[in-house]
Amino acid sequence: MTPMRRLVDIVSRVLEPDEREAVHGDFAESGETSGRALRGLLGLALRRQTALWRNWRPWLALLGAVAPFGILLSLVSKRMAQSSAVTSWLYLNNWDWTYVRNTGFRLDFAHDVAVVLFEFLLLSCWSWTSGFVLGYLSRRAIWINGALFCLVLVTVDLLGMPRFLGRSLLLSRADTFSANAAVFAGAFYREVFPLIVHTVLVLLPSLWGMRQGLRLAALPLPLQTMLWASLALAMTTLAMQNSVWWQVRTWNNQPPQLPHLPYLAPLAVIGPLGYILATTIGRRFVRR
Amino acid sequence: MLMTIGEFEYLLLTAAARLGEEAYGAAIRQEIQGATKRRCSIGALYTTLDRLETKGLLKTWMGDATPQRGGRAKRMVRVTAKGIQAATDFYNTVTRVSRGVTWEANRRMVGP
Repeated sequence: MTPMRRLVDIVSRVLEPDEREAVHGDFAESGETSGRALRGLLGLALRRQTALWRNWRPWLALLGAVAPFGILLSLVSKRMAQSSAVTSWLYLNNWDWTYVRNTGFRLDFAHDVAVVLFEFLLLSCWSWTSGFVLGYLSRRAIWINGALFCLVLVTVDLLGMPRFLGRSLLLSRADTFSANAAVFAGAFYREVFPLIVHTVLVLLPSLWGMRQGLRLAALPLPLQTMLWASLALAMTTLAMQNSVWWQVRTWNNQPPQLPHLPYLAPLAVIGPLGYILATTIGRRFVRR
Repeated sequence: MLMTIGEFEYLLLTAAARLGEEAYGAAIRQEIQGATKRRCSIGALYTTLDRLETKGLLKTWMGDATPQRGGRAKRMVRVTAKGIQAATDFYNTVTRVSRGVTWEANRRMVGP
């Protein structure tokens, strides 16, 4: 297959399956060159996408999900990557097998590993949920909204937030804390590790979520209510990650009299994990 | 109620009506290109098919796959009674409005 023909195939994925089939057949029958086929397909894809944006759903996804979720996820991913980098550095760069004999060390180690793993799971669930909501709301407009979402994720991750916005969100970062200077002196924990976390735990789960959100079949009302309630909970906990309460707690400042918010994050993984497990098990069951 | 259609919609309905049982995407496109001597983009064709189907002027369904199409199915088209009425109205309007103008007289002199 020539590169041009491959490009035609990729662009044609924007179309509905039946239409894609008919269009490919028409091209084959009329002996269209790859260049003309590509031009024709781009025109059709553009018309189809334009028509989709006459509906309110893609706009809701764009304004309500793309920018807010994209920015929040990038910020939270950076923070989690940096805090886990500190933990990882502490153990890997200072490891001594004699410590293992110490019960206190073992308990601390188990606790720290559990915290890091839970944070990673949480981040993946938030990312999956963001993608799922985006896919569900955007439907066929996911090609534009999905690309914009990935663009926001990459831009915020690579370029960072504008300084005034970063300050207004009160985002604390472990790399700005002088005690952690040794950890972030090396390029791995400063640049590479956050990038790996961002790609594996944000970008990929988001794309997976978009795919599943697009395919969401009609569910019975009770299941639908449960799913959306748990997704709403996941998004609320994501938004809370950047709140002033989190800032106060993380930096162990003397907290002023602020309302105490319950830590709901563990509950945020229930909905996404439940849905993923149910659909995976369901699919295997159907195959058998 | 009178359903108004545009020029391209009329061309598409007419081509589909002429092709009858053999009306599908590629054939209609070829018919339009042959008649107008202009390129008909696949985008214009398929979005107009959708629009006309939404208006109830034609009906489409996926037909059989053929080897000459690389084993791909055709999107078959049939003009509905409402579509025939809309095309007839369009044709009558064009004929009426053209009466007595220069190009109408020339067409009669030149041929059918």
